Amino acid sequence: MIMFDRRLLKNFGWFLFLLTLAFSAISLLNLYSASYETGLTSFKKQFFWIGVGLVALIFISFINYRLIRQYTFYIYSFTILLLVFVLFFGKEVAGSKSWIDIASLATVQPSELVKISVILILAKFYDNDYQATPYGFLDLIKPIIFIAVPVVLVLMQPDLGTAMTILLISGSMVLFMGVKKWSVAFILIVVLGVSFYSWHYTLKPYQKDRIKTFINPASDPLNAGYNSIQSQIAIGSGGLAGKGLRSGSQTQLRFIPAQQTDFAFSVLAEEWGFLGSICVLLLYFMIILWMLDTSSRARDKFSMLVCFGVAAMFFWHVLVNVGMVIGILPVTGVPLLIFSYGGSSTLTAMIGIGLVLGIRMRKFSMSGEAIDLG
Amino acid sequence: MQDFRNRLLMVTVILGLAFLVLGSRLWYLQVLKGEEFEKFSLENHIRVERVPAPRGRILDRYGKELVVNRTSFDIYAIPKDIKDIPYLIQSLSPILNLDANQTQKNIDSALKKKSFKPVLLAKDINRDQLAYIEARRSSLPGVIIEINNLRQYPHGDLGASFLGYIGKVSEAELNKNPKINNNDLVGKTGIEKGWESSLRGDDGYTQKVTDALGREVKSNLFLEDLQNKKSMPGSDVRLTVDIELQKAAEEALGEESGAIVVVDVNTGEVLALASRPSFNPADFIKGIDAKTWSNLVNDKSSPLLNRATQGLYAPGSVFKMVPSVAALNEGFINEEEYVYCPGYYKSGNSKFRCWKRGGHGQVNLRSAIVKSCDVYFYKIAEMMGINNLSKYMRAFGYGSITDLGIEERAGISPSREWKQKRFNKPWYRGETIVSAIGQGYVSVTPLQVSMMTAAVANNGKLLKPTIVLEISSYDGEEKFKHSPVVTSQIPVQQEMLDLVKDAMVGVVNDPGGTGRAARLKDLTVAGKTGTAQVVSLDSQSEDRKHRDHAWFTSYAPAEAPKIAVTVLIEHGGKGGAVAAPIAGNLIEIYKKLMEERKADDNV
Repeated sequence: MIMFDRRLLKNFGWFLFLLTLAFSAISLLNLYSASYETGLTSFKKQFFWIGVGLVALIFISFINYRLIRQYTFYIYSFTILLLVFVLFFGKEVAGSKSWIDIASLATVQPSELVKISVILILAKFYDNDYQATPYGFLDLIKPIIFIAVPVVLVLMQPDLGTAMTILLISGSMVLFMGVKKWSVAFILIVVLGVSFYSWHYTLKPYQKDRIKTFINPASDPLNAGYNSIQSQIAIGSGGLAGKGLRSGSQTQLRFIPAQQTDFAFSVLAEEWGFLGSICVLLLYFMIILWMLDTSSRARDKFSMLVCFGVAAMFFWHVLVNVGMVIGILPVTGVPLLIFSYGGSSTLTAMIGIGLVLGIRMRKFSMSGEAIDLG
Repeated sequence: MQDFRNRLLMVTVILGLAFLVLGSRLWYLQVLKGEEFEKFSLENHIRVERVPAPRGRILDRYGKELVVNRTSFDIYAIPKDIKDIPYLIQSLSPILNLDANQTQKNIDSALKKKSFKPVLLAKDINRDQLAYIEARRSSLPGVIIEINNLRQYPHGDLGASFLGYIGKVSEAELNKNPKINNNDLVGKTGIEKGWESSLRGDDGYTQKVTDALGREVKSNLFLEDLQNKKSMPGSDVRLTVDIELQKAAEEALGEESGAIVVVDVNTGEVLALASRPSFNPADFIKGIDAKTWSNLVNDKSSPLLNRATQGLYAPGSVFKMVPSVAALNEGFINEEEYVYCPGYYKSGNSKFRCWKRGGHGQVNLRSAIVKSCDVYFYKIAEMMGINNLSKYMRAFGYGSITDLGIEERAGISPSREWKQKRFNKPWYRGETIVSAIGQGYVSVTPLQVSMMTAAVANNGKLLKPTIVLEISSYDGEEKFKHSPVVTSQIPVQQEMLDLVKDAMVGVVNDPGGTGRAARLKDLTVAGKTGTAQVVSLDSQSEDRKHRDHAWFTSYAPAEAPKIAVTVLIEHGGKGGAVAAPIAGNLIEIYKKLMEERKADDNV
């Protein structure tokens, strides 16, 4: 199915690939330190998932994106079905039914994978649509449904953080493509109305607590605010140069909550200091910039939007997660892609990078189909 | 597509700004506030455990231990570290006599509060209980054994009235000394209080690494963050008291209420300071319980009162040394002058009785002291007046505390000024007359009487009594050593004092002396009896409360005085009959003790 072209290899995005490899290595080193005292379980699992992810990355980069565009609706439908499946047969962890157990070998979180399919289906929608700029509310009914279906399904698990990330990613794409001012206002009113309704009728107390604690973390230093305070103590105490690998007291003595997953960045900041954490932030910045650069060189709207969407996915994950651990955003349970331990989010990130690499490789090809479809 | 390129440029700018915000916040937390957070992180994982310093010991003059410390073991449970709460309770309840339900409740409530504080299971367990728990520690995670120092009294309640007791520190004491911690035990009375600053040690601490759940981390993580400070035990206080003599004195008092003071007449060292009834200091070791405390406070026999230093009594005839010295020295009398005692003394319209209704006939100073004739003293008191008398009372130390260092009362040395100030009334002649025989307003402590006796015996030096001989730090460094302090010199000529001393020998040794019961075979005792009226007239009442206080004060040997012994028996009746034999007996015991010590030293 895939035909190799020398130009493909020549145009392979070595820079992004090497960034990804470097990033994976740093992530594993960090998880090694974070999980050392508890037997390295998550380190070993993440090692496995990064391996799987890199294989997926290379595989996807060699599939012509035009083929993917062709099958976008099937990909989307498949992940939506997974989301429905998980509501009935999912494994419940910490109050959320978000995981599918695959033969007890691994658990997969469809809500992570669905981010990719939402990016694809929105890219495809705008690719097909040539009519209006900016778009009015009526023009947007279709993409709104594409977005709303997975968001509602994820909210039903319930997984507030992931639903919000999907909204942020897809919202960025819609706004990027242009929306009429009045439509923005209308959508904002609807969103505010829904938020008001949810606050009073559907949000669970623990979710309300999280929002309240965000506004004033000191109000609840032992429970919800504890996470935020301990994370900031860890980061701050790292100082300029950090305490060194496996030498962060906040990490090793488990003062940092969820230090292998949502708060992995705190571990890095404690043990490697300002220098280490700023380096990792710069790496993310470069990855996103490189994706945006690829987006700006794209030959069609689909590839441009896919690159933009994947860049948005990375951006929002970094902003929401790092913002959370440094205490400027609420504690929402959004992982830091590749950096936080988690098979599905790592795989999703790798697939996203794979898509961008694939598009980059083909930016010089005049007619993709003729070359790649065997 | 150019349109999108422009938008992408804008997106890049927004992206840059967002990363700038994240980076600035990291700069703020890690570089600007780094040191502050470093401190928080240390506080997070370092638990400071106080190492209480043991209090210094209290020893008798020969180094015998009167108050020491023993190690006590308290059992606590750290709720978060317990693996199986029911199992823990089930295995510890029978051996520690725990109330299973209550323990479960305590642990549950600590868990609910997310408290890292250990829950107390049992205090001061015995050796068997300790061995049982030690043997099973590995199967009982979360159980910790805390080591404490508790006071111990090898001699029981002997000397309790001056040793004092300890108790939980009060708010005021806490504010005064920053080294004392909440819930610490400090001296509340007696030596324990008076020498608190010497006895108290300097607490140390150890630091331990704990994880987020408050559990102690056993591995070697973060040991470099820890500091320790050794505790410094308090200094040992060696008293002047001879515990053997103290024991004899307390046994002599027996079930009576009263006090006995034995002092070294040449140094002012207190050799025994007995007060009965007393209390058991062991009741106070772990902080006294409310019931025992209220029993002690409400006890009509006042066991918490140190009668030797705080008990105020009319001295009766033991006081006659004061008018004797005063009248001799001021030239109102000489040993040749006789006074006729018909059994009463008339002054103006008032009639003052002698204790001997039939009268003593012709008496001079010597026979008046020997027979304790009241009329003689009424007469000389009226002659010299209250101003002269009160001058000598003060010279003998009455009306002010001796500054022994433990709880003390000053008593009353009456004078015109005092009465004016106290009652806003003029002084009457009759009041001078009764003051001369230690009645009326005069009130004294047995210790004051003893110091007066010592001053007579040592030819006029009023010494400052002392109860502490030496203080030395736990590693043997001497911090204080007693040397005699003369408070004042009594203004009296030697030959006049000799007359009084000779009369005191007569009290014990002359036929007809009131203190013959104190006489010893091979040792000359000098002394003076006293029978102090509690209620006027009704001295022979059947009701014990109305009976006279029996006094006897003495020194020995008369030729080369060494010790003064003062005995007071509350409502004991006649001093000569009740108090004098006790004093004689104690002098005898003292002599034997000294001989034994000498023999031991020679061996």
